[in-house]
Amino acid sequence: MATPLIEARNLSVRFGVGRLTVAALDDVSFTLAPGESLGLVGESGSGKSTVLRALTGLAPLSGGSLKLGGVAVPTPRRMNFFTAVQMVFQDPYASLHPRHTVDQILAEPLAIHRIPHAETRIVAALREVGLGPSYRFRYPHQLSGGQRQRIAIARALILRPKVVLLDEPTSALDASVQAEILNLLEDLRRAFGLAYILVSHDLAVVAHLCERLIVLRQGRMIEETTAGALRDGSVKTDYTRAMLAASGGFTRVGPTAPPTAPLRNT
Amino acid sequence: MAAGPSPLTAWLTTAEPQSRTQARVGHAYQSFRRLARNPTAMAGLVIVGLLVFVAAFAPLLATHSPIASGDLRTERLLPPGPVFWLGTDDQARDIYSRLLYGSRLTLAVVILVSIIATPIGLAIGTVSGYFGGWLDRVLMRITDIFLAFPRLVLALAFVAALGPGIENAIIAIAITAWPPYARLARAETLTIRNSDFIHAVRLQGGSSLRILLKHIVPLCLSSVTVRVTLDMAGIILTAAGLGFLGLGAQPPTPEWGTMIAQGRRFLMDQWWVAAVPGIAIFVVSLGFNLLGDGLRDALDPKASR
Amino acid sequence: MTPLLEVEDLHVRFPLTEGTIEAVRGISFTLGRERLGIVGESGSGKSQTGRAILGLTARPGEVTAKRLAFDGIDLMAAPERLRRSLRGSRMTMVMQDPRYSLNPVMTVGQQIIESYRAHKRVSGRDARRAALAMLDEVRITAPDRVMALYPHELSGGMGQRVMIAMMLITGPELLIADEPTSALDVTVRGEVLRILDQLVAERGMGLILISHDLEMVASFCDRVLVMYAGKIVEELASGALDQARHPYTRGLIGCLPKLAGDSHPLPVLTRDPAWAR
Repeated sequence: MATPLIEARNLSVRFGVGRLTVAALDDVSFTLAPGESLGLVGESGSGKSTVLRALTGLAPLSGGSLKLGGVAVPTPRRMNFFTAVQMVFQDPYASLHPRHTVDQILAEPLAIHRIPHAETRIVAALREVGLGPSYRFRYPHQLSGGQRQRIAIARALILRPKVVLLDEPTSALDASVQAEILNLLEDLRRAFGLAYILVSHDLAVVAHLCERLIVLRQGRMIEETTAGALRDGSVKTDYTRAMLAASGGFTRVGPTAPPTAPLRNT
Repeated sequence: MAAGPSPLTAWLTTAEPQSRTQARVGHAYQSFRRLARNPTAMAGLVIVGLLVFVAAFAPLLATHSPIASGDLRTERLLPPGPVFWLGTDDQARDIYSRLLYGSRLTLAVVILVSIIATPIGLAIGTVSGYFGGWLDRVLMRITDIFLAFPRLVLALAFVAALGPGIENAIIAIAITAWPPYARLARAETLTIRNSDFIHAVRLQGGSSLRILLKHIVPLCLSSVTVRVTLDMAGIILTAAGLGFLGLGAQPPTPEWGTMIAQGRRFLMDQWWVAAVPGIAIFVVSLGFNLLGDGLRDALDPKASR
Repeated sequence: MTPLLEVEDLHVRFPLTEGTIEAVRGISFTLGRERLGIVGESGSGKSQTGRAILGLTARPGEVTAKRLAFDGIDLMAAPERLRRSLRGSRMTMVMQDPRYSLNPVMTVGQQIIESYRAHKRVSGRDARRAALAMLDEVRITAPDRVMALYPHELSGGMGQRVMIAMMLITGPELLIADEPTSALDVTVRGEVLRILDQLVAERGMGLILISHDLEMVASFCDRVLVMYAGKIVEELASGALDQARHPYTRGLIGCLPKLAGDSHPLPVLTRDPAWAR
């Protein structure tokens, strides 16, 4: 097997000091091959977003090692890391600078990396995400949620990364817009040979976009499985099975029957 | 542009600008249109524009010398009339002419104070808010020390140390004016420094300096600008206060505050000597206030549509 | 027998400087003591419908209707005082995120007791007892411990259960739940819905569940109204999603990625301007 694009070994992230330390991530390991798509699934507090923050250096690692293309990733990250790894955030309303036009937003990464021919690159990047040049001088507030997310994707792709980290990229969008964005992400992946790490709470979205997935709970990996296993229900742990059952909609146990599962109070 | 949209208006308001220049000019035009729709802001703009005009053309508009005294026997403390439009003061000088020349000083004070104090406040506030930690604590304690003193008292202390004169008064006012801007900029920075769009720049490899200058400062700038224009009134009054106490502009320089100070003695019988510069200060302060309020709305692109 | 809620030709308009935006454009339905779902995407007017019924339309919004009646009371003609007393005692609302709808500086217990005593003349001790019983009903273990907590100390699921307890303690007949579970984890979502379901059934309340999640609503409610651009485009019976006829509803169902039988690429909803007419 060729060298994996990303190799994460025993990642752990702790917040706080002394007795108040909270392990947000505990001993998480995974690899990502070039062009592969990996899903990270879990509920709130599972640490799935912390994995992305740890990869990008936004959350400091307290243990473990991280390699990009076989080379250890230093902290703070070097410029070549940012050209290889980019990220799309959950909320397209918060991830675009409110006072910058689309043009300024897309010009920024090019200016930071001193890439020439910015104007033609920007128009090309807009076209890649299915927006015409007419959107170039608009402000984010003049765009719909789906259009904003397209701009965020264009910004991530304009540096031609090898890996795109997707942090719940469709959970703030309507279902019909979600479908468009998911299709776009699939097309772009095929066109540019991208590898994705997708964080989501929605099993159907993860199964749609990823071949392989990791289930996290309270900062630990509890299961590593495939989209196929998710589809035919052959998952190993009860927790994943419970999530799978819950995502199928509401099931009425009986008119007055008490709930079967004990209720958690935390 | 009364007869339908002219080619120029169409070029300015197009939804699809062809170049960055066109987009920039277009957005500036939109901001101006928003400002123009707001009558009180326009009133403020007219007052400030008038101040600039008067300051620029004071020699042409003045009817008398602002400094040379008239006939001290017959022209002292005259009420407003056909020769001396706003009356004369105790040195038999034409108040109207002094007022015109005084606007130059007022404008200079306002402009200098704002271009000195705004960058200091912005720099300290954004750096403090962005980096946090001990740097934040040190910078904010310094800011608090400045804020703890009444503005005029602090300015007085500085002028006393630097020596009286309008230049020193300006420096003293600027030194005392920045702390509120630093506080404001810091508060704004704290709310935006952890937002996703700042994370996104960091993930593109943007340096802290770049994030501060290109992403955080522009967001803080509009609220600080508004705050500065709202403070203009206070700046003018502080300058006037220093003049009044004899620590600002020195006689016979026509400074509005000094003029009030001199007119104070005749307030009961020759009210116009103090009232005219007083009204001028009031009107100009109001103008800046109204303009500042309008700018807040006009500078926010979200307010468009 | 009069239905619990009658809505006929309800409009909600927002006059803005650049023209009027019509969020709800003439919708009609009646509600008995049943679970009614209202489904739509953002901007469909579903939340504005719920707010208009309660009289919580934000200014400068205007509400007009041929008839808007709660248990025979004409709400359009009712004075503001009557509407306010109805709201909270006989009809009430649960919103999306409990963290924003609970007062951050009051304990859970104080808030529940306060909302109870605002409508019932009872002693503090009786109110406390009622609050404890209500928390027990929403399956909070150790309710007396939870009573002393502040909202930020609650998890999302517990916060939403507290919210439900607070809203249901006065024994309302109509509950409008606007995206009550969309801020919650999927496994917690089930619990909250079950609690809601049971309380509604036991008390014989009417429930309007507003959500963007068509599958969840269809599996929970007796009837589903699908809204698009301020209008009701389709009414569906419970669990009859496969019988949806309107192209919008069908498109909405089709564009969701599914665990069983997924399609690549996903079918995309093409909006027909005729739907909005």
